[in-house]
Amino acid sequence: MRPRTMVFLLAGVGLAGVLLLNGAPAIGQAPAKAPKSGGVLTLAQREETPQGFAIHETSTVSTTWPAMPCFSNLVIFDPLKQQEATDTVIGELAEKWSWQDNYRNLVFFLRKGVKWHDGQPFTSKDVKFTFDMLREAPDAAAKLRINPRKDWYANVQNVEAPDPHTVIFHLKRPQPSLLLMLASGYTPVYAAHVPPAQYRTACVGTGPYKLKEWRKGEFIEYVKNPDYFVKGRPYLDGIKYVIIKERGTRVAALQAGQVDAAFPGDTSKTTAEQLKKAVPQMVITRAAENVNENVIMNTKKPPFDNVKARLAVAHAIDRRALNQAVHQGGAAIGVSMPSKPWGVWGILDKDLAALPGYGKPADEKAAGKKLMAELGFSPDKPAKVEIVTRAIAVYVDMASFIINELKQIGIEATLKQIETAQWHAMATRGEYQIGANLTGIGIDDPDANYYENFACNSPRNYTFYCNEQVTAMLDTQSGEIDPKKRLALVVDIQKKLEMDAARPTLTWRVDNFAQWPHVKNLVPHNNFYNYGRLQEVWVDK
Amino acid sequence: MKTYIAQRLGIAILTLFGMSVVIFVLLRLAPGDIVDVLFSAAGYVNPSEKQAILKELGMDKPYWRQYVEWITQIFHGDLGKSYRYDLPAWQIIRPLIPVTVELAILSTIVAVLLGVPTGIVSAVRQDSTLDYAMRVFSLAGLSMPSFWLGMVIILTLVSWLGWIPPLTYVRPTENFWLHSVQFLLPALAVGYRSSALIMRITRSAMLEVLREDYIRTAWAKGQNERAVVWRHALKNAILPVVTVIGIEFAFLIGGLVVTETVFNLPGVARFLVEAILWRDYPIVQNLVMFIAIVVILSNLAVDLLYGVLDPRVRYAG
Repeated sequence: MRPRTMVFLLAGVGLAGVLLLNGAPAIGQAPAKAPKSGGVLTLAQREETPQGFAIHETSTVSTTWPAMPCFSNLVIFDPLKQQEATDTVIGELAEKWSWQDNYRNLVFFLRKGVKWHDGQPFTSKDVKFTFDMLREAPDAAAKLRINPRKDWYANVQNVEAPDPHTVIFHLKRPQPSLLLMLASGYTPVYAAHVPPAQYRTACVGTGPYKLKEWRKGEFIEYVKNPDYFVKGRPYLDGIKYVIIKERGTRVAALQAGQVDAAFPGDTSKTTAEQLKKAVPQMVITRAAENVNENVIMNTKKPPFDNVKARLAVAHAIDRRALNQAVHQGGAAIGVSMPSKPWGVWGILDKDLAALPGYGKPADEKAAGKKLMAELGFSPDKPAKVEIVTRAIAVYVDMASFIINELKQIGIEATLKQIETAQWHAMATRGEYQIGANLTGIGIDDPDANYYENFACNSPRNYTFYCNEQVTAMLDTQSGEIDPKKRLALVVDIQKKLEMDAARPTLTWRVDNFAQWPHVKNLVPHNNFYNYGRLQEVWVDK
Repeated sequence: MKTYIAQRLGIAILTLFGMSVVIFVLLRLAPGDIVDVLFSAAGYVNPSEKQAILKELGMDKPYWRQYVEWITQIFHGDLGKSYRYDLPAWQIIRPLIPVTVELAILSTIVAVLLGVPTGIVSAVRQDSTLDYAMRVFSLAGLSMPSFWLGMVIILTLVSWLGWIPPLTYVRPTENFWLHSVQFLLPALAVGYRSSALIMRITRSAMLEVLREDYIRTAWAKGQNERAVVWRHALKNAILPVVTVIGIEFAFLIGGLVVTETVFNLPGVARFLVEAILWRDYPIVQNLVMFIAIVVILSNLAVDLLYGVLDPRVRYAG
């Protein structure tokens, strides 16, 4: 083979690889063009941002999506790649970084000449301020009112700022996941000279866009940051997030072209089909939200303090039927980590079939019924429980389906809807027997998921599941620096959690992100918390 | 007259006091508070952190003290601070009022323009085809919730024209034409429902009056239809209609929740529901008091209008 042919062949293979990794261009997308500067992007926002721009004080995409353009992280997931992983992490405020001392120290070399939106210089002092505050270091200069991701930094022993452009994260033990956590949309760097409370009403960041106006209940408007540290970015002159509470109106606004793209996670399979029918040129991209539907069972209250009862529930619920009934087949099936192509850690289909709830529906129901019979219950003499869920349609639909499934194995569940104001208080206090729940995870990584939802004493471990063996397994995988070995350990953990029916996953939600074809470089990730920076987005009008 | 107004205002103050107690107590009886909602966005609740925030917001004080502080603040022209936005409540509430008042006025105008003439025609042409058609028209208006009608309007426009009215509030000073379009459609949706009620009241009041002896006398004297209907009948039938218009207007100030949501208008009602869900007590309390004031004033205006419309009405001092 001639060298030139070889080069073309390799380039072709490489391109195919990139397409496979990143997903093929979505239907309706034109071939790539040279980016143009200018224009304002109008986006739909499903609700007022809770806590303004204070990303560190919330855990919702309703905050990260409209607040991310204001900020920068040390590192971020490549905005143009749909699947997030260690190798898609790129520098943002950090020009480069280096793991040292066998993954015990993570050293960041910061960009020089970066300015906050108020003109103050950005230095390593800001980074230390932010992460000391997040990990609640004894000598932290500030404290957050609510700190939902403190656990992410539990392994950070110290943050050192030896000079204005170097920061070192000293870890208690190796933890490769830390880099991914720092790349999340949930991890912006705050300004040390701005009180954290101020971010609830205004935004001083180093990001590509500066806050122009936040008209409460109406819109959030940004303008291009002329001092942005990446030359030639952002392309847009501004972004406007229009707050539209009513879902039908949001869809109509997108269809009528009043907004250029949907709110992440807002477009169901059915809605996407309707939009595509009405506007054939609409670009729809399927992308995981990294949000799963799950059953929480209080392991401290009967009957679910008995693993047999929990396993019976896990067996009883036909995930595929749920997917069809509630999501019209639009969700993905998987256990506690999302499986390929929506995640990198999930277990393979062949392994899935052997776990409770994933076999043939009739066999699974029989297994569930048998377990309940061992506890003295049957469809004629059922165990009576109360199933709680949030008074929101997506939750209620799921709970209704579960009730019907449980009835068939000898569990008679009555539905109790809980208002948002009470939901987490009730779950944290364990004032329930069984519940239908949704869990969003900031990054596709076992550390972010497991320490938050399955570790003993975590405030978000609503089931109070606590298994020393699993805790040890979590620590082992967390410290493993060989990705292949770590994957094997994570697969074992997933199987163990399913066999304990710790918190059975039902489906992983998949968004059908909708945008007009004139919107370019807005690539939805398989995690809707992390692609809101929008510095690469441009409009071709 | 002056004494009557003074008496009514005195009663109004007592009513507002009662309202303030009721809304204050009801809000505290509802399970959960703003801190639970804040933690809800974080996915957990930490009791010690919760206590610290309650203290920061002044919610750890006894209820009676919180009530006294609120009322004292009102007397000093201070509505307190929104828990959710950390901004003065008045700064949040002020922009909402003109939106809702304008929508309520426009809807009332639509309702009157549609309801009164159709009611009159329907009564005068009783049991005719026209009467049946108008009764069906009004029944349809009563049967169709305005939010449903609003959504149908939006979906029809987007399906047929690929266009919907602007979804960010356009001030009249910015673009009067767009502003008018933005308000006209929701006003039609809401006004149609209210017009149905007004039509039916007008019809029944007119039918009653048209059977009176003095109307028969007017016909016997050879007066033309216009004079009989407009000068003699309508003038005497209008009092219950005015009452209903007043009640409808007052209802619209707080009752436009879904219409404001569907048309994405930043008004009082939509914001009130949001504030209730967030347990943002200062916003809820003050908005409810605002609605109560509008209801009281519109009732007073209707009562005063009786005297203008019907010379027989005298106000006892």
